[in-house]
Amino acid sequence: MLLQLQNVVAGYLKTVDVLQGLSLQVEEAEIVCLIGPNGAGKSTVLRTISGLLTPSKGSVVFDGQDISGVRPDLVLQHGVAHVPQGHSSFPEMSLLENLLMGAYTVSDKALVNRRLEAVYELFPWFRDRAKQRAGNLSGGQQKLLEIGRALMLEPRMMLLDEPSLGLDPKKSHTVFDTISRLRDETGITVLMVEQNARSGLGISDRGYVLELGRERLERSASELLDDPRVAQLYLGGGIDDTLQA
Amino acid sequence: MSRVGTFLKQYWMFVALGFLLVYPLIWRAPYYHVLGFNTLIVATAATGWNILGGYTGYKSLGHSTFFGINAYLVAITANELGWNPLWSAPLLALGVTVVALVLGWIMARAKGSAFVIATIAMLLIFRLLALNVKSVTGGAPGLSQPLAPWSPEYSRMPFYYYMLFWLVIALLVSAYIRRSRFGLGLLAIRDDEGKANMVGVNTTLSKVLAFGVSAYFIALGGGIWSYAQTHIAPIFAFSILNDVDTVLATMLGGLGTLWGPVLGAFILIPGSDYILFNFGASQFHLAVFGVLMVVIILFLPRGILPSLRDRLAARRETSSAFTGASTMEDLSDSQPRGEVPGREAPAP
Amino acid sequence: MLIQVAVIGLLTGGVYAVMVSGLTLIFGVMKIINIAHAAFMVLSAYLAYWLFSGLGIDPILSMIGIVPLFFFIGKVTQRRVLSPVGDDPGLLVLLTFALAITLEGVLGSISGSTFRTVRTGYTSSIIPVELSSDLTLRLPVVRLTGFVASFVVLGVLWLILNRSGLGRAIRATIQNAEAAQLVGVNIARVRSTTFGIGLASVAIGGALFSLIFSFNGSSHLDWISKMLAIIVLGGLGSLPGALIAALILGVAEAVSAVTMTSYISPIVFYLILFLTLVFRPQGLMGAKVREG
Ligand SMILES: Nc1ncnc2c1ncn2[C@@H]1O[C@H](COP(=O)(O)OP(=O)(O)OP(=O)(O)O)[C@@H](O)[C@H]1O
Ligand SMILES: [Mg+2]
Repeated sequence: MLLQLQNVVAGYLKTVDVLQGLSLQVEEAEIVCLIGPNGAGKSTVLRTISGLLTPSKGSVVFDGQDISGVRPDLVLQHGVAHVPQGHSSFPEMSLLENLLMGAYTVSDKALVNRRLEAVYELFPWFRDRAKQRAGNLSGGQQKLLEIGRALMLEPRMMLLDEPSLGLDPKKSHTVFDTISRLRDETGITVLMVEQNARSGLGISDRGYVLELGRERLERSASELLDDPRVAQLYLGGGIDDTLQA
Repeated sequence: MSRVGTFLKQYWMFVALGFLLVYPLIWRAPYYHVLGFNTLIVATAATGWNILGGYTGYKSLGHSTFFGINAYLVAITANELGWNPLWSAPLLALGVTVVALVLGWIMARAKGSAFVIATIAMLLIFRLLALNVKSVTGGAPGLSQPLAPWSPEYSRMPFYYYMLFWLVIALLVSAYIRRSRFGLGLLAIRDDEGKANMVGVNTTLSKVLAFGVSAYFIALGGGIWSYAQTHIAPIFAFSILNDVDTVLATMLGGLGTLWGPVLGAFILIPGSDYILFNFGASQFHLAVFGVLMVVIILFLPRGILPSLRDRLAARRETSSAFTGASTMEDLSDSQPRGEVPGREAPAP
Repeated sequence: MLIQVAVIGLLTGGVYAVMVSGLTLIFGVMKIINIAHAAFMVLSAYLAYWLFSGLGIDPILSMIGIVPLFFFIGKVTQRRVLSPVGDDPGLLVLLTFALAITLEGVLGSISGSTFRTVRTGYTSSIIPVELSSDLTLRLPVVRLTGFVASFVVLGVLWLILNRSGLGRAIRATIQNAEAAQLVGVNIARVRSTTFGIGLASVAIGGALFSLIFSFNGSSHLDWISKMLAIIVLGGLGSLPGALIAALILGVAEAVSAVTMTSYISPIVFYLILFLTLVFRPQGLMGAKVREG
């Protein structure tokens, strides 16, 4: 087991707990997808893992070490990278500078360059646009840049918060494809939040349904896709269906 | 318990009012009347300010602009037209409110710190005008106006009662707003302006109205202060320290509560008077105020009343567990509610 | 004549740029308007004054001690006073305002309301610069010193921001604080360090200020409004914008002082500040839009 959350209670205000005793686990090299309604606390789970929030109860254990309440820059050192919801590139910096910021905590220049090459290999178009201002990239390109930036740390695990948010079906398809390919090629572990439940579960091994700050259901991704309750609540129709086609 | 509690609450309200009614008769020295009057002005101003700063969350540091404008209007109309300030002050304050509505409408676009600085700039502009448009304002030396007709023996007593009357009115207005739909809209703006807008609150209109109502009670105090003072000068009429008193009183008592601003004023003004009296030097007084303000913001950011309320609530809290419903289970074997987990609009 | 006035205004504008550089930087990183900025400047000016009148140390020299002291004060103030309050901009403005009146009260209690200024041996020295046979500029040494010093300070700030790891961390925090945290920037430290740098720069501003202007404990109120006007016009958070706005306002102020009724120019000043805040919070210089 690479990551284990046990009875985690966490929130933003002292008076309100968003996560109310949540438990979940992720195995090495797994892709796990969290789905659930708006405000269920999905992002909060990722923020608690990456150290942006400190749990008031419960524990977050990564690779056998308790990382609950550890500062984000130190969680990073453990090999957990978090790509948050929405835009998170540094818009005024160039694409290259953004990638280099990903290795902010690495002081070995040669190592940084090696990783840069590795990232360029994964995303060859980065090289051509290295000088471009990140704020001028399209939404999908920015998301890939953010993923690339996270890879500059060679993390063992990536936390992805709604990577397809705001992207059209074609672009989100590229993003999901990239995630799936990354796992197959590098064996990275992924914990992902997705509103676009069908595509999210489509590339996942397992999934959790989150509601009111607790896990309600834990199944293999295919079982969740077939579950009528899940279908009714989260699989909707429209865009998702066209994507599947 | 709850019936006794409610009764006690109202009982204390009347005790407090009774006390304020007899206070000037018990403490007859002019000093006490001046102190009481000043406290009531700040209490009324703070009650008004709270409608904007507390309910709506827009903290102005320049509302004494309206205090100053009305102070001058009252003095000028008393001198030139012979108007009696006791009725001209509340009437002219309405005129000042119109000015405030216009300024508020302009400033409704500014948010956060931009709003606060804009209010300071507004105050400084009016102060410079008061200092420099000498033909109207008398410049830096200021203006005098006729003394009140009653014998100096009564000193500020009539002013005291007059201001007490207006404090009660301010509280009634504040309480009414708090309970109204309009007030709910203000609270919604404070919590999340964007969401308030989305659920149909006309945020601009609400903010502008709150701006105007709070200006009214501050302007009113300025008019009456002007009459009681008989001589007014720009540095006192348009002083950011007036805003400090107002804001500090509100925050001390409890930002966004009905009674907090009044409670705060009744602690702050006598307290600061005590400091002035014992330590003299107004500069030291300023330092004490500054430190007090820092301490309140750091350790009592919500003010006395909400903190007390929390204490009581914590004591009363029983083991009653939170009974949240789980939508997943609710929906699994019944028909779904209309609610489909929709996406928020994608970020632009 | 007008050229002479404009050039002096330009030199003064350079000093303004140092005074406000920290203010705009602090806003960029923390979204805090530090109303106490001018009060800290006056504090630094007093320290320079006391060191000069007591020990005969020239303000330029006394910076060596005052600047690190202010850096430290800034770091501690941010850690212990500002950061516990959270991020309600209204509350933070009130808090820095409270710091400002505390400083004012303390300085006023210690030194009364008498205006002070540092009068060194070179205070009234003037360097004539002959532009042509009939146009000779007369440049006061203190303002020239201030102008040169301001470019040194701004140059150092620019180097820190664009050529150091700290600078990268600061820029990242300005652009997206959460993302900065997630790539390993310790933003709590970036914030306190930025506040320290901000106060260190205003300490230099204060030492220069003590040479050029006279001040007492209450002077900060006049100056903070001027500083705010500059950084708002330059675009909140933008250092180059602040420099340009400072130079423009320095010249505009000097020229308007000799061409207009004395009180009109400050009113125009505040009016511009007010209207900019309301209608163009991103500033007049066309800097990027930044949330206030
Ligand atoms: N910074 C914050 N301060 C206070 N409350 C917050 C904050 N961020 C989120 N919340 C609250 O926490 C709850 C859970 O938020 P969270 O962002 O984890 O939901 P989510 O499941 O990711 O929803 P979404 O699908 O909208 O991203 C919500 O009720 C939200 O209002
Ligand atoms: Mg989310």
